[in-house]
Amino acid sequence: MFFVKALSYTILVLLVVTDLFVPREHPHFIGDFIPGFWAVFGFTSCAMIIVVSKWLGKKFLFRPENYYEDENSEETNGYV
Amino acid sequence: MSSGFFIHPSIFFFAGMAVLPFLKGIQRNVFLVILPLIALATVVNIDPGQYASLKITTLELIMGRADKMSLMFAHVFTLMALLGTIYGMHLKDNWQIIAAWGYVGSALGCVFAGDYLTLFLFWEGLMVTSVCLVFLRKNRASLRAGYRYFLVHTAGGLALLAGIFLLYYHTGSLAFGPFEPNNASWAVYLIMAGFLLNAAVPPLHAWLPDAYGSATVVGSVFMCAYTTKTAVYALARAFPGFEILIVLGVIMALYGVVYAVLENDARRLLSYHIISQVGYMVTGVGIGTAMSLSGTCAHAYAHILYKALLFMGVGAVLEVTGKSKFSELGGLWRYMPYSLVFTLIGGLSISAFPGFSGFVSKSMVIAGAWQSHLIWAALGLTLASAGTFLHTGLKVPYFIWFWKERPPFDPPKKEAPLNMQIAMGLTAFFCIFIGVRPQALYSMLPFNVEYHPYTLYHVMESWQILLFTMLGFFLLIKKLTPEPLIGLDVDWFYRKGGGLFLKFCKGVLAKVENGLIMNIHQTFFLPLMKIIASFCSWNDQKVVDGIVDGTASSTLTLSSRLANALQSGLLYRYLAAMLTVLAAIIGATLWLTQWIK
Repeated sequence: MFFVKALSYTILVLLVVTDLFVPREHPHFIGDFIPGFWAVFGFTSCAMIIVVSKWLGKKFLFRPENYYEDENSEETNGYV
Repeated sequence: MSSGFFIHPSIFFFAGMAVLPFLKGIQRNVFLVILPLIALATVVNIDPGQYASLKITTLELIMGRADKMSLMFAHVFTLMALLGTIYGMHLKDNWQIIAAWGYVGSALGCVFAGDYLTLFLFWEGLMVTSVCLVFLRKNRASLRAGYRYFLVHTAGGLALLAGIFLLYYHTGSLAFGPFEPNNASWAVYLIMAGFLLNAAVPPLHAWLPDAYGSATVVGSVFMCAYTTKTAVYALARAFPGFEILIVLGVIMALYGVVYAVLENDARRLLSYHIISQVGYMVTGVGIGTAMSLSGTCAHAYAHILYKALLFMGVGAVLEVTGKSKFSELGGLWRYMPYSLVFTLIGGLSISAFPGFSGFVSKSMVIAGAWQSHLIWAALGLTLASAGTFLHTGLKVPYFIWFWKERPPFDPPKKEAPLNMQIAMGLTAFFCIFIGVRPQALYSMLPFNVEYHPYTLYHVMESWQILLFTMLGFFLLIKKLTPEPLIGLDVDWFYRKGGGLFLKFCKGVLAKVENGLIMNIHQTFFLPLMKIIASFCSWNDQKVVDGIVDGTASSTLTLSSRLANALQSGLLYRYLAAMLTVLAAIIGATLWLTQWIK
């Protein structure tokens, strides 16, 4: 397990290091000039999506699974 | 009308629906493969042009507009019909395949429609046949979800129809072509609303996870391919360059990703990712350049295949174990390894890993946004693609096949039926084929655009985003532990709203009825009615009866006198009467003949 982790982190570091030498052919905005920009972008996106969504869920949106069923339970007979 | 090869491919599917019930055993299975293959071969050989038009007074209905765009969509629709039918081959009852073929036929009808009326006709067919795929799950939840789906789509269809009527009233034309973004009328926006509902653009999207999470295993594989992509096709035809679609598309792409975090049901999670992915296509339509529209078409093509593959993989688990909730699954790698590999291929394709189909199609839309200097849109879509990998590439496989050492229940120790595995294998092949040979996909595009996905920088960029998303996933994995909860979505308004309306009727309306209206009735209207009634009764007895009785007695007197005069019993009186009448007839005849001359 330690080996797998070490290998994974090495790949990630190498990915950012080699980015220093990749030519920029059609840069579109400032981020395209910064080496490792997309690595940071990917990581922050992932963290932001998880944290913001979970916050929204806990604060407003989560309900128990039978939330919609209770209301209708009085006329359950007659269906399959 | 053009001369050239054209057979409407819908015909095969509609005819197949009628023939299928009469076939059994091996004949049936061969037929299930051959029919979509014939349709696919037909689509490949259709010559571009305009066919099958019908003129009714001033209306011209066109059933067969075949150009590069409609042929590209028809190509993937028929290919998908083949894959989906193979996936459903093991089913004992034919109804699901029959409904699915009707669904495919309707989608093809929409794609080849050249006017809005024809489009509307098949558009409604799409809804009616697909709702059957929800009902055929045959449980209470799907029955309810099916009715909701039906009602929501009926509303959308009516908006579309109203738009079509207004459009015809204003312009006198029903041609299904692009609208001018600058002076769009109400009619145009009504049509757009109808399309946006089928494309599941928030806030008109809640039907999608609701229905696709409740449909049959085979049904949801079909449904994830056709309804939204037909709507994308319609949007690309009618609304290229409408800037509001850029905003809506980016919101959609992110909305789906956020809700996917909250989702505990695998098929509902994939449904939210349909919304997210269709967001890219809607954005592409909104930008409206050749590059971004090509991106929309290419992404629709690739999306149909990889999304179907994902639904097939998760559906295989549902078919075998009867479960689709992450909190009830885990540790299945031992028992269903092939389904795992195929689902992973679907996950890598949707996440746009280099070498898979999403990489060559999704990046075209983002490139279109960059080219039009829409930095916020391009970054928003890239953000959403990180979320896509997070869920579909990582969360789905991890929480179904790994996570726990052993499944939390006693699983049937077997793989999915063979036909399902064959269908998944074929679909996976196409996902990889498109990723490795993007030219095969690009050659079908309706525009000639120069695009090379495999540049060193683009590949590096993708690897960085994807692998660092993976890092984030494993660092924050505790936060993603599945919980048996549901996330509220806008379907709350009609699901709870219906109950509230019922409460309002029972509580408020019933009180108003019993308390106020009954009271007014008893104290005021009832006495008034009694007075009027007693007057009527007096009038009836005295006045009316008096007149009637008088009339009756005088009639009696008169008739008895007449009878005495006419029936005297004296022969000479009868003779005299007869002669008089005879003379009158002769006289009249003579006079008449003279008059005629």
